[in-house]
Amino acid sequence: MKTFKQHYFILTFLLALSGFSLHAQAGTPIDQMKSTVDEMMSVLRNDSTWEQKEPVLRELISKRFYYRAMAQRTLATNWKKASDAQKKEFIDLFSELLLFTYLDRIKAYTDEKVEFKREKLKKKTAVVYTEIITGTANIPINYKLLLSGSNWLVYDVIIEEVSLVSNYRSTYKEIVKKDGIDGLLKKMSDKNKELTASK
Amino acid sequence: MKNLLTILFTAILVTGCGQQNIRQDGTVASDPASHTTFKPIMVAAKSYERDRMSDSDLDALLSLEDEVVEVYDPIEPFNRGMFWFNEKMYLYVLKPLSKGWSFIFPKPIRNSISDFYYNIRAPIRIVNAALQGRGKDAYNETGRFLINSTIGILGFHDVGNDHYNLPRQEIDFGTTLGHWGAGPGFYIVLPFLGPSNVRDGVGLLADYYLYPPAYLVNNDLEINTNYVIIRAIEGVNEISLDAGTFDAILEQTLDPYLVVRDAFEQHRRALIEKDK
Repeated sequence: MKTFKQHYFILTFLLALSGFSLHAQAGTPIDQMKSTVDEMMSVLRNDSTWEQKEPVLRELISKRFYYRAMAQRTLATNWKKASDAQKKEFIDLFSELLLFTYLDRIKAYTDEKVEFKREKLKKKTAVVYTEIITGTANIPINYKLLLSGSNWLVYDVIIEEVSLVSNYRSTYKEIVKKDGIDGLLKKMSDKNKELTASK
Repeated sequence: MKNLLTILFTAILVTGCGQQNIRQDGTVASDPASHTTFKPIMVAAKSYERDRMSDSDLDALLSLEDEVVEVYDPIEPFNRGMFWFNEKMYLYVLKPLSKGWSFIFPKPIRNSISDFYYNIRAPIRIVNAALQGRGKDAYNETGRFLINSTIGILGFHDVGNDHYNLPRQEIDFGTTLGHWGAGPGFYIVLPFLGPSNVRDGVGLLADYYLYPPAYLVNNDLEINTNYVIIRAIEGVNEISLDAGTFDAILEQTLDPYLVVRDAFEQHRRALIEKDK
């Protein structure tokens, strides 16, 4: 436990040094989203090894992504049928899978730019419109956010008009239909193990 | 090939994110690398969930309906077979070729090749924009084609997009049919070309006649080999510019077939809805 605390202290210290804040920030959805992306970019940009960057990026992503909301929307009607234990396990496995793919993608970055276009507010939810400018095309990426306390948190990512959560939902729905919720959890856990082993 | 490419590209979504902006200038105040004691801490994602909304508040805010794009897939066993075939083609033929291709041509050249291919597809976009009654888009696409083919040196530079604020659009006969009310029909995975459906498959056939390389017939055979080679080069070039999106889907998702099917149908439906 001592080592964990030490590490946590160092991490906090580093984040503070680089101008990061572990506390809630005020600001509009677009400001908050931009600050997370900027922080991630400055981590990606520095010279340290991937092993050193990864935990910092995990932290940044986990602060901005509302895993529970994404998990809940992914299971949709099956969420209502799941037991509390199943829900908890699903959130854990789902967030690990999501983090793995997300980190794997940003690892392969080259020289793309992110442009923040505009935001659309509706009471406690918002959409932030961004575009990734690559060598050949502009890829629209929109973030759906909801307000929790003073934080705008991501509950869906829409890339080229395709909702990430809907995509997971349609796949997982088929799997639950065939193998039940426990079957799905087993598949997710196997996939996580496979991905961790291949790392 | 275009649909396979579309889906490869679209599929960036499934992998969570595209690539991030990395500027080469500027340094970061603190560098974790300098701390030898710095080791990965698996901060559990759930540790952030404590301070967030109560379950009931969240349930009230978000819909728990099964909103999915329902895909009619009566020939799923056949489609899965085709998907398997395309997957092997990708892994064992196209991907190795694209590695070699990247080795020969640096990225700026491959980007230009991609722009060139985009430009020669202009007749498809112009005619279909007109067929959908989208005068402004037809006009813009014509303008871009003229600018790119001249100032853009035969289309090797998409100056229309980069300097004339003419963003790229996907307009084809499949979206024209959709615009006038045609449903997607059943889902079908085409060999080499990838995910499609009845509507978009008909669209592909029609658009063939608006694609200039289709007229570079080199023999009296049934198959226009020049066309096939031109499209194959396009495919290899596009794969070389993509950072392993399809690999990520194959490796990281629970059922890549379903992931691609849903992404394709969502994407096509949104294209048609957007311009209605």
